[in-house]
Amino acid sequence: MIDENSLKLHLIGRSGFGASESIIECVDSLSYEDLVENLIGPKPSNHIPDDILFRDQVDLHSSRSGIPAYWAYRMLSTDNLFLEKIALFWHGIFATGNSKLNNLRSVLNQVDMFREYGLGRFDDLLLHLSQDPAMLVWLDNQDNHSGSINENYGREILELFSMGVGNYTETDIKECARAFTGWTLGNSEYMSLMSQKDSIWPYGRIVWHHRFDSNDHDYGEKQFLNEIGNFDGSDVVEIICQQKATAEFISRHLYNFFVADEVPVPQWNVTGPRDPDAIQVLVNAYFEFDHDIKSVIRVLFNSDFFKNAVKKKVKSPAELVIGTLRLSGQYSDENKISSSIFSDIAEAGFMGQSLTNPPSVEGWHTGEEWITSGSLVDRVNFASKHLADMDNDGVKLIVDRVIEKANMGINDIYDLINICSREIGLYQVSDETKNAILDGVDNNQQENSFANMSEQKKQNLILDVVKLASSSKEYQLC
Amino acid sequence: MKAIKTIGINSNQPVGRGFNFPYDIAILEDDSETPIIYLINRSSSAASVGTRIQYFTFDENWLGEFANSADPNGVGFVKPVCVDFDKHDNLHVTDESTDEIKVFTKEGQFSRSIALSDVGITDTVTDPRFGPSGLCLDKEDNIIVASRYKNQIVKISQEGHLLNSFGSLGNEPGQFDMPWGISTDSHECIYVADWRNDRIQKFDRNGTYIRSYGEHGDGDGQLIRPSSVAVNESGLIAVADWGNERVQVFDQNGSVNEILYGDASLSQWSREWLNANLDEKDAREQSDLKNLELPGHLKSNYHMASQTEHKFWGPVSVKYDSLGRLYVTEHSRHRLQVFGS
Repeated sequence: MIDENSLKLHLIGRSGFGASESIIECVDSLSYEDLVENLIGPKPSNHIPDDILFRDQVDLHSSRSGIPAYWAYRMLSTDNLFLEKIALFWHGIFATGNSKLNNLRSVLNQVDMFREYGLGRFDDLLLHLSQDPAMLVWLDNQDNHSGSINENYGREILELFSMGVGNYTETDIKECARAFTGWTLGNSEYMSLMSQKDSIWPYGRIVWHHRFDSNDHDYGEKQFLNEIGNFDGSDVVEIICQQKATAEFISRHLYNFFVADEVPVPQWNVTGPRDPDAIQVLVNAYFEFDHDIKSVIRVLFNSDFFKNAVKKKVKSPAELVIGTLRLSGQYSDENKISSSIFSDIAEAGFMGQSLTNPPSVEGWHTGEEWITSGSLVDRVNFASKHLADMDNDGVKLIVDRVIEKANMGINDIYDLINICSREIGLYQVSDETKNAILDGVDNNQQENSFANMSEQKKQNLILDVVKLASSSKEYQLC
Repeated sequence: MKAIKTIGINSNQPVGRGFNFPYDIAILEDDSETPIIYLINRSSSAASVGTRIQYFTFDENWLGEFANSADPNGVGFVKPVCVDFDKHDNLHVTDESTDEIKVFTKEGQFSRSIALSDVGITDTVTDPRFGPSGLCLDKEDNIIVASRYKNQIVKISQEGHLLNSFGSLGNEPGQFDMPWGISTDSHECIYVADWRNDRIQKFDRNGTYIRSYGEHGDGDGQLIRPSSVAVNESGLIAVADWGNERVQVFDQNGSVNEILYGDASLSQWSREWLNANLDEKDAREQSDLKNLELPGHLKSNYHMASQTEHKFWGPVSVKYDSLGRLYVTEHSRHRLQVFGS
């Protein structure tokens, strides 16, 4: 078992986007359990105010650029990281892509909905998802008519959003689709056409809204998951959320996102959970707390299986990019608004996770699948570039803190590597990595004692170590 | 006032007719039959091309463009904010990022640049930036410009010499928090859109505080982040109530004379485009884009504006012409709406 502070860093990092040693001083007085409550409890976002963002970068007002810079600003400047992490969690499961929709503001409205309902009862979240116009267009439910169903949403809500393959029949899919007939969006034909043609004419995008078309709804009797009734979409959602398979499916997703990497979702019906006992704990919590997601996560964060899962996950590109930029201090307040945000957040896409543009309704394949020969180079280059740049306030802070600690006395270069590593969130670094860092540091710098170095040499040495540590295997994990 | 005309169409191209995040206009009313409108095209933050001035007639005859940031040899902008003409028909444009005012002839020839870092105002804050936002010319052609970062209103001569400055950071009378648009009336009083204090402040020509209009809120007479102000010959004060997605008109006593939410129609350019894209035209004609029966969680002013088309979305600038017509520039609907009696 790791020490208390490292455990707290583990919790803070997983519930947000990484953590550095400096945060520990802020939570020193809290027990681990209190820290869990502090992190998952309601708190103001305090991100860079929208009005300032919109004044400085006017295209964020309507989110026309196609790049979710607005969401990036929120993740980079918020005090409520857990809320953004939850939004990211659901965005990965209820994967909705702007590449098809061409209406980023509608996708970001969906992300807003995840913030609002993502920690409440799963029933409410699934209902709002079923009424979300971006989802409706993404899965063609505007083409799901009474007497002429389009089963796309009916299938995916069961297969990918709630129960998983093997827990329902083809008849259930069709009956589910019937229940969602008439769940469409306003001016669906025109909105769909503008979307298909990527049309901004005459006056820019029109953001979508849900509409229930009672004339197009199938009010007939349906048989769904062994129940019979004149079900509509809300009835179907309620039935789904009562299923044990749903509890297992959502629990496994929570485990995969917060605890340790699972195999990709399409394999779940043939490959069992990595830790069946952990899934059962979460399933029990799902039912005990009436499908309340936050309650399930509270159980998860306080569990031994979570505490024992240090560095068992590969950082997603979003976690790596946002975590690195938060460490570097870029975009952290209203004086740091810059058009470079567009290219920086696009880097996550080059690494395989373009926010608001998942590759398909399956979402992203996570874990080791994030790492390819190409993406690994991108990840290493991105982190080392931003964390070795003294123009970044966060890097200056790291250097200052390391110098202050090192000046209090270090025995050798290994101590310095330890201090630097913890500052960028690496609280467990292998000897292999330490030796690799040592090999990479300028020999001349190693030979002098730290205390006798000039300030410039100290800074250079620290930047070298930070750069190498951020290129390490450990930095790829969380 | 009634909506009498809508001008413009969205275009994401870096050159040519059509707007992409228009920000402010100046109206040139010389001897020609129809006013000529000069418009700041702010363009996209992600791409550094296409920021430029476009000019066209009230009758939607597109005349041209200049100062395109796409031209590597040109005198382009980074973040142009406001425009106004002097008596000699020279166009003055503030650029919030470069701390300067650029001056052009009405034909678009670049004349000169006035660096505001050199005007020598008393610095009340540590921020080195000036951040010129609102701008207007007084009767002597002196330039009155709002400093976003120094929270001051600065009057300078055409030669760039400091004549007067007033204001500091705060929310007391005469103080500002990121001021934006400014205007003068026929008595040379100065009106300032005190953006983050959610009010309009009125001063005499020397900068002596007179009164303010509005307070924070979304009720009648209340404001959220007013970005622009214009005063007509009768003394009516039009305010771009940007954060409330509307325009409010106050009388001099502070009573609300009128509230406009927008009522756009199809511009000539839009009609031309739709006539060439009949599938969208047909689908559009079968739609109800004014539907306001929206879900409860999407009923904020912002959401209402974003989900309909006729209403203002991002009403960032207001200007009167000599006939008393009110022009409202909407950055997120990429058009102008014109109102008249």
